Amino acid sequence: MRRALLLTLLLVLCTQGVAGTQAVVLVVPADSNVVDLEPVTVRKLFLGLPVLVNGVPLHPFRNRSDAQLDPIFLQQIVAMSQSAYDRQILIGVNRQGWLRPVELTTRARVLATLYSDPNAVTFMWLRDVERNPKVRVIRVLWSD
Amino acid sequence: MERLTNSLRVRLTSVVLVIHAALVPLLYLGVSAIVEDGYAELFVNPLRSNSRLIADELEAADAQEFPRYAGALLDSVVLSGQVVFAEITDGAQTLHSSLSSVSPGRARGDDFEFADHGDQVYYISHRVKRGTRWVVLRLGFDEGPTLERIAAAKRRVLAAVLAFTAASIAVAIWLSAVIARPMVRLQEAAKRVAGGDVHTELQMHSSIREVRELNHHLERMRQELVGTNDRLESEIRGREASEQKRLDLERRLLHRERIASIGTLAGGVAHEFNNILTPILLYSQIALDDTAPDGALARDLTRIVAAAHRARSLVNRILTFSREMHSQEPAVFSLRPTVEEALALMRAIVPANIEVDFDASEDGTAVQGDPSLVHQVVINLCTNAYQAMRRTGGRLSVKLRGIDNPGDGQINPGSYALLEVGDTGHGMEQAVILHIFEPFFTTRDVGEGTGLGLSVVHGIVTSMGGSITVESAVGQGTTFRVYLPAAAAQVCERSGALG
Ligand SMILES: Nc1ncnc2c1ncn2[C@@H]1O[C@H](COP(=O)(O)OP(=O)(O)OP(=O)(O)O)[C@@H](O)[C@H]1O
Ligand SMILES: [Mg+2]
Repeated sequence: MRRALLLTLLLVLCTQGVAGTQAVVLVVPADSNVVDLEPVTVRKLFLGLPVLVNGVPLHPFRNRSDAQLDPIFLQQIVAMSQSAYDRQILIGVNRQGWLRPVELTTRARVLATLYSDPNAVTFMWLRDVERNPKVRVIRVLWSD
Repeated sequence: MERLTNSLRVRLTSVVLVIHAALVPLLYLGVSAIVEDGYAELFVNPLRSNSRLIADELEAADAQEFPRYAGALLDSVVLSGQVVFAEITDGAQTLHSSLSSVSPGRARGDDFEFADHGDQVYYISHRVKRGTRWVVLRLGFDEGPTLERIAAAKRRVLAAVLAFTAASIAVAIWLSAVIARPMVRLQEAAKRVAGGDVHTELQMHSSIREVRELNHHLERMRQELVGTNDRLESEIRGREASEQKRLDLERRLLHRERIASIGTLAGGVAHEFNNILTPILLYSQIALDDTAPDGALARDLTRIVAAAHRARSLVNRILTFSREMHSQEPAVFSLRPTVEEALALMRAIVPANIEVDFDASEDGTAVQGDPSLVHQVVINLCTNAYQAMRRTGGRLSVKLRGIDNPGDGQINPGSYALLEVGDTGHGMEQAVILHIFEPFFTTRDVGEGTGLGLSVVHGIVTSMGGSITVESAVGQGTTFRVYLPAAAAQVCERSGALG
């Protein structure tokens, strides 16, 4: 299933390849006081560990509005397979009292969250946020 | 039977085969997918973490040290074993580990899934921030060993699935044989019953409830069949017996009628003959009286008179046989004295080599009729017996007793006085027995017997309402049994007192 999805993704990528390179970027609201986040911190954040910037806890949101984002999230951000990630989250939530990153399933909800929560951290396709003044890109996670 | 075994077995087995044909590929594919996913997970998970760690390390590395440090890191990564390709590029220039076994410059996207692109290398690239610019770390991991392990695991799965299939098909064949066996045995039993062997009990010990029930029903059917068969058989036997009885009666009736018609004829002749004899006797007597006693004429006349007397006695015997003889008024009397008197006479006649036995019981031997006729019966029977033993000697035994409902099929039920006259003489053949009661039937030489003895006996017994039977075996002897209807008890006593 996942493989089939990926094959279609590849086909789509091949046909769209002419349109230019694609990139997944880490984003925060424009008014966020987060400047940059180390890969290790990003990883911690999305594994559910509490991360504070200037004494304020950050809120990680997993963007699941697009199936193609999942493998990039797993490989580049948490560096785990899906099942290992699920296991890790379960352990963290149950043993340590960490919070499970909230999952957002549409692009509109992702944007709405960014607009309303100044402490939100999430990731998006670069093309979706390039010209959006209310969203700030702080890091390129992956580019093709 | 063979066909049943085959069809049942073949059916069960083919059902199992079909189920296997449908399920085994699914099972194989399912297990293979699980195995493949497991291995992929085992492969992908650590190298994602490792590559991430390496990228983090690069990001944290000191700026002046970076080129040297990066080269050493790439080499150490390749030396760790699993990594077959390692490079760092910033767009302008590329740093490539000299130890990589895969040639540099391969433009290829990341492999997000195990075994993507079919090149046996799993590529991961991480963007690393170096101050204000970005470099890309690109690592390639060898998928070969894992692919081999997956293939080996799949082979094991295939072997296991095939072994399982073979085992379950064998079990199916064995099971179908086990299931078919009681059916075959039942069928054999049913065949046996159909073939006529209905008396063997159907005994099927099976652990299968349906088979046991089937056996039970079949056994009940068999028992019903046996019952019906027995009923039919006894019915047929009964019919045969009654048919035999009917034929017997018919034969005896015919015999009686023949004897009766001969008797009527003989009686008519005898009557006429008697009428002719009377004047002969009368006139020859008168002539004799008128003649001098010593002359030749007197002697001739005496002979005529004697011959006429003999003729008259012969006629009387014929008349007795045809029941036209004048007998006394029938009276009730006990047979014993009459028989004893006749036997006393016989004892005087028979030679010493013949023993005469008499065995009598008083009870139930009173009959109604003329004692002199019974006397005649005894004398006739005993004379025949004596004649049968004349040459060889032997035993003449006479028995007298009362009997109720004689078992002899020829006699009607009721109380009888039975007179039995047995001898150990030469006996008779069946052909002779058939004719002995006919008048003038004799096996004796001319002049020795008239053949009237037994017909007279028959006539007397029949006139008294009784019957006579004969049992004879050549060389062993003959027994005549005379059944005379017993008279009522009180009458018997009265007659005994008068007697
Ligand atoms: N006890 C017997 N044993 C063997 N044969 C017998 C016996 N009684 C009768 N018979 C046979 O039956 C025949 C007929 O007998 P039946 O008494 O009627 O005539 P008979 O004895 O020949 O002549 P008759 O009695 O007039 O002198 C005999 O000739 C003899 O062959
Ligand atoms: Mg005789």
